[in-house]
Amino acid sequence: MGAYVLKRLGQSLITVSIVVLTVFLLLRLMPKNGYFTREDYVNMDRDARTAYLRNLGVLDDPFTQFGRFLSGLARGDLGRSITVYPRSPVLDVIGEKAPYSLWFGLAALALSMALGLGLGILMARFKDRFPDGAGTVYVTIVRAIPSLIWLFFIQQWVTALLGWPMVFYEDRPVSWVLPTISLALSGIAWYAIWLRRFMVDEENKDYVKFAVSKGLPWKRVMRGHVLRNALVPLVQYFPQQILLTIAGSLLIESIYSIPGMGGLLVSAIRQQDNPLVQALVLLYSVLGVVGVFLGDLLMVLVDPRIKLAESSGKGAAA
Amino acid sequence: MSGDTILEVRDLRVSFSLRGRRLTALRGAGLDLRKGETLAVVGESGSGKSVLAKTFLGMLDRNGRVDSGSILFDGKDLARYNKEREWLGIRGKRIAMIFQDPMTALNPLKTVGEQIREAAALHRGLDRVASRAVVLETLSRVGIPEPELRYRQYPHEFSGGMRQRAVIAAAVACRPEILICDEPTTALDVTVQAQILDLIKSLQRELGMTVLFITHDLGVVASVAQRVAVMYSGQVIEEGSVREVFYDPRAPYTWALLASLPQLGVKGEELYSIKGTPPSLFKEVVGDAFAPRNPRALEVDFKHEPPVFPVSDTHWARTWLLDPRAPRIEAPETVRRLRARLARGGAGAAATGGADTGKGGAE
Amino acid sequence: MIRTIPEVPAELFRPAAFDEAAAERTGYARYSYWRSTFRTFLKSPVSIFLLALIVVLTTASFVYPLFAHMDLGAVNLDTETWNLSPNRDHVFGTDGLGRDIWALTWYGTRTSLLLGFVIALLDVGIGMIAGALWGYVRKLDRIMTELYNVLNNIPQTVFLVLLAYIMRPGFWTIVTALCSTGWIGIARFVRNKVITIRDAEYNVASRCLGTPLRRMITKNVLPYLVSILIMEAALTIPYSIGSEVFLGFIGLGLPIDTISLGNLVNQGKNNFMLYPYQLTWPTVILAAITVSFYIVGNRFSDASDPRNHV
Repeated sequence: MGAYVLKRLGQSLITVSIVVLTVFLLLRLMPKNGYFTREDYVNMDRDARTAYLRNLGVLDDPFTQFGRFLSGLARGDLGRSITVYPRSPVLDVIGEKAPYSLWFGLAALALSMALGLGLGILMARFKDRFPDGAGTVYVTIVRAIPSLIWLFFIQQWVTALLGWPMVFYEDRPVSWVLPTISLALSGIAWYAIWLRRFMVDEENKDYVKFAVSKGLPWKRVMRGHVLRNALVPLVQYFPQQILLTIAGSLLIESIYSIPGMGGLLVSAIRQQDNPLVQALVLLYSVLGVVGVFLGDLLMVLVDPRIKLAESSGKGAAA
Repeated sequence: MSGDTILEVRDLRVSFSLRGRRLTALRGAGLDLRKGETLAVVGESGSGKSVLAKTFLGMLDRNGRVDSGSILFDGKDLARYNKEREWLGIRGKRIAMIFQDPMTALNPLKTVGEQIREAAALHRGLDRVASRAVVLETLSRVGIPEPELRYRQYPHEFSGGMRQRAVIAAAVACRPEILICDEPTTALDVTVQAQILDLIKSLQRELGMTVLFITHDLGVVASVAQRVAVMYSGQVIEEGSVREVFYDPRAPYTWALLASLPQLGVKGEELYSIKGTPPSLFKEVVGDAFAPRNPRALEVDFKHEPPVFPVSDTHWARTWLLDPRAPRIEAPETVRRLRARLARGGAGAAATGGADTGKGGAE
Repeated sequence: MIRTIPEVPAELFRPAAFDEAAAERTGYARYSYWRSTFRTFLKSPVSIFLLALIVVLTTASFVYPLFAHMDLGAVNLDTETWNLSPNRDHVFGTDGLGRDIWALTWYGTRTSLLLGFVIALLDVGIGMIAGALWGYVRKLDRIMTELYNVLNNIPQTVFLVLLAYIMRPGFWTIVTALCSTGWIGIARFVRNKVITIRDAEYNVASRCLGTPLRRMITKNVLPYLVSILIMEAALTIPYSIGSEVFLGFIGLGLPIDTISLGNLVNQGKNNFMLYPYQLTWPTVILAAITVSFYIVGNRFSDASDPRNHV
C-alpha cells in the first residue's frame, strides 16, 4: 500500500515535470517583444527595453530560467504577472479568480450529476422507448453541435424570454442561474450517456438474470444490482472532475463576463505572461494527475476486485 | 394425467422478435414433471431446452413471448402470467433456477452472503439477523466450509465449484418446490462436476424438491435422472423413464443421439455423427423437423408433423414410425445392442445403465 | 397425451431418399461480418437519410464553388448591398460586405469539411499505426503511456494557442494543433483493442491451429479495428469542425478572410443583434453536418458490434 502510493506519486511527479518543462520551453520560442505591454514598448527606448527584458530574466538561457523557476517554486513563489495584470503576484491573480470558477463549476457539477444520472437511469429503464429517444436527441445535440452555438442561443433567447440579465452580476443571484445551467448541459449529457451504456451492459449480464430468478422485483434488481454496478466505472472520474472545476470554462465565462479562470490561460499565452502561464499549467497538471490518482484509490474502495498494485485506467473516456 | 404431476406443459409455443424477424423457439413443446422426481431435458444447443425452463419462471427476454399453450402449476396456468406481481409469488420462492456458468451468475461487487440473504429475507419475510442465520445454515448445507468467513467474501474469492455451491445455496435457501438446473456442471472442471451432481441429488432428497435438469450430456442424465425428455428444434420428441428412453428409444433423433455417444461406439469403427445442422428457427418447419437429417425418414415426415404416439403408460414419442401404417424401420446397430442388453439383464441392467453410458460426458 | 392422429394418406409411409446436401441446407445462412454490419446499419431509415445528407452536402459544397465563380476578395463599395435582409435575390440575405450568405455558406462548408476530413485522416492514420505498435511492441508501452499522460495533462488550449502563435494562423496550423493531441487518444483506444484481440482465446486457438498470419489479421483483427477506425473518423469530423468554431471565437481560428463555417458563425454571432438572419443558414448547415456525422458514426459503431447482428 505505502510502496504503491509512493510509486504512483513518483510517476505523477515525472509527468508533471515533463508537462511543465515542455510548456516552459515552448514559451521561450515566443518573440521577445511580446513581453511588453503596448504603451511600455512605445515609451521605452532600445536600451530601456533590453534592461527591461534582462530584468525579467528572459534573456538568460532557458535552463537557467527553469532553475530559477524551480527555486522560486520551492520557496512558494510563482513570480509576478508581466502583462495581463502587470506586477501582481501570480498567486494573488489566481486566488482572486479561482473562486468564481470553482463555485460555478461545483454547482454545475452537482447539477450534472443529479440530472445526468437521473436521465441516464430513465434512458436505461425505458430503453428504445420515448425517454430513451428524447434523451438521445438531447445528448446528440449537446455533443455534436459546437457548444458555442447553443450556448449563444441559450443566452440570447432565455434572457429575452425571462427578462434576465445577459451577463453575470455578483450581487444579482438571478444572473448566476443561466451560466450554471449552461455549464451543466454537457456534463448532464456525459453522465446520461455513460450511465445508460453501463446500465444496459450490466442488465444483460448473467448475475442480473440470476437475481431475477431469485424472485427479486425488477425495481430492486435495477437499484441494488444494475445501477450500483453501473455507477462504479463512473466513480473513477469524480475526483478529477471536482478538482478541474477550478479551470473554469472559457466560453461560458466569456459569454457571461464572469471574472473566472476560464480565459486566463489564453490571455496569458497571447500576452506572453510567462509566470502566469507556467503557474496555470503547473496547477492544472498537478490537479489532473492528483485527480487520476484519487480516482484510482476510489476504485479500490468501490470495487473489491481491484487491488492497489494493479494499474487501472480502463472504462469510460471523456 | 396422474395426480402426482407437479408441472404440466402442453403445446407451448414461444417466439422472439429479433430485428424485425420472428424466431420460433418452442413449437408446441409438452412435458410432465412429477413430484419428487428428477427429469432430465436433453437436446443440442438451440433445441429450446433453456427457453422452456425460462418460461416456468417468466424469464423470457423482453423480445420473447408465449404465443400459446399452457404451463399448469398448482392449479394455475403460468403461461398466462404477464405481470411481475404474479411471478413474484413463484420465482425463487416456489420454482428456483441455477445457471450454467457460476463465474458470471453472482454479482462481482456484492458479498456472496448478501446475495443469498436478499432472496431469503424477501421470500421468508425474515429480518436481517434471522435471514443471516438461514444463509449460514444453507451455506454449510451446500458444503461450503467456514460459512461465517465465506459470507463476507466476494465471488472472485471463490473457486468455480464453490461459486456453484453458493449459487445453489441462493436457489435453495427459500426451499423451492421445483429446482431447475440449467446445465449446472457444463462450465466446471470434470473433477468438480461429480461433486456438484452429488450435492444436487442429496439436496433433492433432504429438501424433497422436484428437479428439472437441463443438459446435453447423456452421461449426466443417467446418473441424476429418473426420467428423460428429449428435445429437438423446439419440441419434446420423446419422453419416458431413463430406462425406456435409453434402452428402447423410438424417435429417430433419440436413436441418432444415442448412436453418437462415444461410449457406445465399437472399437475400430468410425463414431456415428448426425449429418447436417438443426433447422433455422427463423423458417417455418414443415413435417418432422429432424426429417432432412434422418437417413431413415419416411416421405410423410417431410409433409406432416408427427403427433404424439404412446409407447407405454410412461413412454411416448413423436414420430410417424409409431403409426400402425409405418413400415418396420430398424434402429441403428448401436441402439439395437442397447436393447439387447436390456433384454438380457432386465431391470438390473437399467439400474447400472448409468455407469454403462458413462460419466465421461458426451455431447 | 394421446391425441387424434391427423388424416394422412397411407402411401406416404414409405422411406424417403436421403440427401445430405439438403440436411445442411436446413441450417443457418452463412454469416459474413461485413454484410451483417452494413445490413444492420442500413436497416435504419435515419442512418440512410443522414448518410445521404452527408453525401449531398459534401458534393454540393465541393461542386458549388466550381460553378459560382464568386470573387471572394472583391469589396463591394455599394452600401446598398450590405447587410441585406433575406430577399428574392439573396434568400438568406447578405453579409457586411454585400456577399450572399447562401453562397458564402457553401464555400465555408467546403473549408470546414476539408479541415474535418484532413484531421480525421491524419488522426486515425497516425493513431492506428502508433496504437498497433503500442499494443504489439511491449517495450514501447512505458514510453507511450508516459507520452499519453503528458499530452493528456497539457491543457489543449495551451497547444492550440502556442502553435497558433509559433506558426501563423491558418489551415495547417489548426490541423497540426488538433492532430498533435488527437492522435494519442485514438492510439490508446487501438492499443487497448489490439491487446484484447491479441490475447483473446480465439486468436490463441487460431495460432495453435496454424492459421496463417495474413488470414488472422484480415479475419480476426482487422474487422474489429476497421469498424473502430471508421467510427473514430466519423466522430473526429464534427469534433474538428466544432474546434474550428471555438478557435474562431477566441481569435485563433482561420484568418478572417478565409471563409469557413467557424468564421461565418462567429461573424454572424457578432452581428446577431442587428442582423440575426446572417447566422441562420451557416448555423443550420453546421448543425446538420456535425449531427449527421455524429449519428452516423455512432450508428455504424453499433452496427459493427457483432452482438447486434442477426
